[in-house]
Amino acid sequence: MVKKKQDVIIVGAGAAGLMLAARLAEGGQSVTILEAGAERQLGDLVSSQIWARKLKWAEPAVSESGDHKIGHAFNAGSGTGGSAIHHYGVWLRMHEGDFSLHKDHGVGLNWPLGYADLTPHYDRVQAEVGLSGDAEQERWRPPGAPYPMPPLPLFAQARVLAKGFENTARHTSPLPLAINSEPYQGRKSCQYDGWCDAGCPTGALGNPLVTWLPRALAAGVHIEHNARVSRVIRSAANPSHIESVEYLQRGIRKTLSAARIIIAAFTVQSVRILLSSATAQHGAPGNHSDKLGRYLMTHPAATVFGLFEEETYPHQGVSAGQLLSHDEYDDKAAAGGFGSSQWMIGHAIKPHDLLGYGTGRPDISGPELEPWLKRAARHLGNMTLVCEDIALPENRITLSDKVDSDGIPYAHTHHDLAPNAAARWTQRMAEGEEIMRAAGAQEVWSGPRIGMHIMGGAVMGDDPAQSVTDRNGRVHETDNLYVAGPALFPSSGAVNPTFTLSALASHQAEHLLATP
Amino acid sequence: MPDNVTRRGLITSTLITGSFLVLGERLTLTPAEATELGFTSDVLSREQLNAIETVAEHIVPGSHRAGIAAYIDSQLNAGENSLLIGKYLGVDTSGQIAFYENLADNLVAALKTEQSVQEIVGALWGDALGTWEGPPSSYMLFVLRADALDVTYGTPEGFEALGIPYMAHIMPETPW
Ligand SMILES: Cc1cc2nc3c(=O)[nH]c(=O)nc-3n(C[C@H](O)[C@H](O)[C@H](O)COP(=O)(O)OP(=O)(O)OC[C@H]3O[C@@H](n4cnc5c(N)ncnc54)[C@H](O)[C@@H]3O)c2cc1C
Ligand code: SF4
Repeated sequence: MVKKKQDVIIVGAGAAGLMLAARLAEGGQSVTILEAGAERQLGDLVSSQIWARKLKWAEPAVSESGDHKIGHAFNAGSGTGGSAIHHYGVWLRMHEGDFSLHKDHGVGLNWPLGYADLTPHYDRVQAEVGLSGDAEQERWRPPGAPYPMPPLPLFAQARVLAKGFENTARHTSPLPLAINSEPYQGRKSCQYDGWCDAGCPTGALGNPLVTWLPRALAAGVHIEHNARVSRVIRSAANPSHIESVEYLQRGIRKTLSAARIIIAAFTVQSVRILLSSATAQHGAPGNHSDKLGRYLMTHPAATVFGLFEEETYPHQGVSAGQLLSHDEYDDKAAAGGFGSSQWMIGHAIKPHDLLGYGTGRPDISGPELEPWLKRAARHLGNMTLVCEDIALPENRITLSDKVDSDGIPYAHTHHDLAPNAAARWTQRMAEGEEIMRAAGAQEVWSGPRIGMHIMGGAVMGDDPAQSVTDRNGRVHETDNLYVAGPALFPSSGAVNPTFTLSALASHQAEHLLATP
Repeated sequence: MPDNVTRRGLITSTLITGSFLVLGERLTLTPAEATELGFTSDVLSREQLNAIETVAEHIVPGSHRAGIAAYIDSQLNAGENSLLIGKYLGVDTSGQIAFYENLADNLVAALKTEQSVQEIVGALWGDALGTWEGPPSSYMLFVLRADALDVTYGTPEGFEALGIPYMAHIMPETPW
């Protein structure tokens, strides 16, 4: 059955999809979102790390290979709000040099846009979502409007860790966060209880349920949940035109048509949908130069821990952390490796769960365990390193031979870390342990290297031979198919991606509204 | 914050529960209660669960009473909705039962030898148990330890035992 034609279909009700939906509908367009996951509300955000696992992308699984896997099971979510429903709210701008990596250093890719193109969108989005921070103390911050809210207060853990940066001649600033330090646009301020990873039900953290969803619904956006898109279908008369999308809802196969289709299903699933859309007559949209799925990136990251004499009370604050250091960010070519890096300092942390301090110390068990956990609960400090990943064509998303229960191939991802990026990570981790000691830690240890955030795979560019979409996210050689989200990123920088993907979506919305 | 979501209003229960079979009747219980009442397992055998309990208790004391065996068995029964830590580690939910069966069978075999639990656990961390089959024993023990930490300390009662204020926005109160 083919239903009535919409102006826009958006696939995925996450950070990018809900934002685009709100903006386009407010601009007068009729928008339907097809979301694979369940409908979620604030009341579903139960304060439990165990419960939080319900918010993750469940099925179909993504198989992974390589020496630095992307960690899809941890990094991806599903349902209204997508992965962003329980994201931590670290909202950082990419730096100017992140946009011209190949031009400046001969590695990776360039963006077709520069920082200046996104600046008005960063400024607009930060006012809409509400960010807390101190632009002046953030000495490394690229130009832009100051934050609309003052920074969050510092708790004992951050004060202790800041000494390590001071004592090694480094700098810190308050971490800029999409978390209210004071009431903002009818949403309350944070209570500093550290439950953000399980999802913030109070509205203090700017997850899409409290930012874009109410606006989208008020502007008439229709959301179909449990609607898993399998592929897009080309028009028989004009193959560069995408006629409709096919989706499965409660076992029933359906199609829906629209003038424009935007795939915002997060990096891996967005590429999976495009790859699955190849037919006997036509290749997958965007794969005209065999670039679809390539340049997959994930930030190499890890946490450094320390135990202090002083009381740090690490349950206080927010999951994201309290302080930021970007001292080495802009010197990508500094000796010892390649790429930018940042520290997020003083996370509110729990004893259990994958990121918990008890889990990360398998050497402590038996009768020693509880006394150690009690000590850590009062005296632990922790901070996370995020390093840059470099876009490599061999790192890619492909379709697996296995098919899911709907008969659609699973996604497979392969990701190896470039040796110079791995060297940078090793170098900075050693520095991190030094900083921890300089802060006075009596015992210092580090967690394993993990993949944090998932980017690339449908990279944007001006040259169709080297990219999947143009600078507006339109898939080359199609006239109405778009991609939104971090799949578009040609480089990763070393900052968390949601502010940039939102600024990019704002830029896309402006383009789409200007060219009806 | 919506009017119906206030912290104090929501702290009504500290229960994290599941559905357990006790004397032929299906009851909503915490893993600790199910253990105390002698639940009937749905997925793993009693022998397998006993082995899991013994080793888990050795590495995370208190996990037996907190209901590690009941927790694992009920989560394996939850299929796609399982909340076991393996979900984060990329253990496909369709392969979870096989994963835990393999872990349990290896532990059953190890516990039948002359070695003490302490010796067995030491060998498991060092991937040095000759009879071990499947993924490395250190990895599987890491997973079991993480599940044991979840059930023992990942609850309001567990936080209290460590002196951490739980400070929930919404207490976990309906079945997992
Ligand atoms: C624990 C955690 C903490 C994080 N913290 C931060 C942070 O502090 N700062 C930051 O910048 N980023 C953070 N992130 C990352 C951030 O959440 C993502 O970068 C962001 O959500 C990506 O936005 P998106 O719209 O592309 O995808 P998502 O928000 O994941 O939305 C994609 C949506 O598409 C749906 N979908 C997928 N496939 C289909 C299909 N076939 N059909 C229909 N719908 C489909 C999914 O169900 C999902 O709802 C965090 C992520 C996690 C998991
Ligand atoms: S600490 Fe703040 S942002 Fe995090 S869940 Fe609690 S109120 Fe929300």
